Amino acid sequence: MTTTRPHPSVEAGAARSDRLREALRRIGTEEVWTKLTAPVALVLLIIVFSILKPRFISWPSITTMLADSTIPIVLALGATFAVTLAGIDLSLAATVALGSVTMATAHQAGLPLVLCCIVALATGLVVGALNGTFVGWVRIPDFIVSLGSLSLVMGLCLIISDGKPVIISEPVLTAISTQGMGGIRFNFLIAIAIAIVLHVVLFHTRFGTHLLAVGDNPDAATAMGLRVPRIKLAGYMICGLMGGIGAIMLTSYIGSSQPATNTDYLLKAIAAVVLGGVSLFGGRATIYGPVLGAILLTFLQSGLTLLGVDAFYSPLVIGIVVIAAATLMRGRK
Amino acid sequence: MNEVKVQVRDLRKSFGSVEALKGASLDVRAGEITAIVGDNGAGKSTLIKCLTGLYTPDSGEILVDGRPVSFRSPQDAREAGIETVYQDLALCDQLSVWQNLFLDRELTAGFGPFRITRRRAMRDTAAELLAQLAVNVPPVTRTVKRLSGGQRQAVAIARGVMWAKGMIILDEPTAALGLNETAQVEALIRRVVEQGQTVLVVSHNFEQVKRLTDQVWVMRGGRVVGGTRTEDVTGEQLVGMVTGAIPTVETPRGRGRR
Repeated sequence: MTTTRPHPSVEAGAARSDRLREALRRIGTEEVWTKLTAPVALVLLIIVFSILKPRFISWPSITTMLADSTIPIVLALGATFAVTLAGIDLSLAATVALGSVTMATAHQAGLPLVLCCIVALATGLVVGALNGTFVGWVRIPDFIVSLGSLSLVMGLCLIISDGKPVIISEPVLTAISTQGMGGIRFNFLIAIAIAIVLHVVLFHTRFGTHLLAVGDNPDAATAMGLRVPRIKLAGYMICGLMGGIGAIMLTSYIGSSQPATNTDYLLKAIAAVVLGGVSLFGGRATIYGPVLGAILLTFLQSGLTLLGVDAFYSPLVIGIVVIAAATLMRGRK
Repeated sequence: MNEVKVQVRDLRKSFGSVEALKGASLDVRAGEITAIVGDNGAGKSTLIKCLTGLYTPDSGEILVDGRPVSFRSPQDAREAGIETVYQDLALCDQLSVWQNLFLDRELTAGFGPFRITRRRAMRDTAAELLAQLAVNVPPVTRTVKRLSGGQRQAVAIARGVMWAKGMIILDEPTAALGLNETAQVEALIRRVVEQGQTVLVVSHNFEQVKRLTDQVWVMRGGRVVGGTRTEDVTGEQLVGMVTGAIPTVETPRGRGRR
């Protein structure tokens, strides 16, 4: 029994190292792909649309498109935190609607603008906390939890607002999405500032490392003493908070609350995350990727509109782009 | 010469109607390599998980350095100076080597909630430590996913060595490794003991137990059925003890005490 052992294990070892080398080569290229997808696609898209419509590349056009990409960026950043945890938050777009509704209610009650904004942020945090609690402690799959909270939040929106939008005329709030520095609007600058903060959180704090570890391998994280449910809660709360910020941005952009959920936002946020090379299996993320992904999708939509393509085609194109991007990054883990 | 580092007294643990541990007792002496052997389902893993805080025993006692302890979480065991290298290694594949080495014990700078991780300091320390252990050193910035089996094992053991304050538990440290890598890991374990740590190792490999360890405990059916100095038994005897062909060699603590 013992004397015959060495030979098979030597062979097995050699075969394993061969297969390992092969796997390494594939992973290497895949990693490069996932990192480069969003930037390369964005550059290509800008070149193609500029050739087809030179007006696309004009400064006013670019600043308008960047301003348009604000809400997708903020929501993509939120979705990144849920996806990094190997989860998903389907209630994100509904949270935006609820945030705008609670903000409008606070405004109608005569609260000052700053407090109204805090109400919107708190709304997002509460929805995120609800999702995080059920995912982390009750251990219901993220998909089911956020599907439930999606419906719950949508219902709350309609109940609180009675289904009617409320106009919020606050010059300061409107200025965020109409004024800017050097033509670049404040809302885009705020979104970039948030992205920088979240980059630091994800890659330069203990919490960020723990978030990646939990998303990568929750069992290993538990064995190393990380408090997995707590970290999940925090991740989902950041996601919810981004929904709250999205609500403020939306209200600023439109000038009124929006009780009806715009599912296009959820789709775009998830799409941007996938395009940005964040692993849907968790544990691997960047911040610049989803930001570029969100800008890419907005540019794509605007470019198609500029070319005179019917707006009805836009979800179709986004759907194709997402599936294509996910296919490029298949077989991860 | 050697003090008793860990004493396990009549440990019991049930999962529903399944009794995984039916009163297991053993000693681990300081500065030695102690093995636990046993067939699948003998209760080795359950015993180990009680020692590392992943399970809380239903009854019985664990004494570390003579003091009774009750571990409720992996942190508790860690604070008592016991590090564990799990069979599945508990590594995060997509994090780098240094991030895994410092997981949950990151170095930070700053005040209160505004703390930034000291990435460079952690990278340098990790590189230094791995170079010291000098076993098939992978670059510390590489993600664990891209390491070979032996390198992964080395990282997991290095993490245990780096944080252990007295004792390391290794669960099947070479089960998935080839001959070369097994030899390297065994050399690493010996070096760890030379540095003054106590090692408890779970192994299926009787040759390895003979090569590596000072004391061996045999588990069967949720109990520790025998314990002896490794030099006093042959591989065949160990097999007999594990399968039950040799009912009990000595009283559980007889020869182990000397």
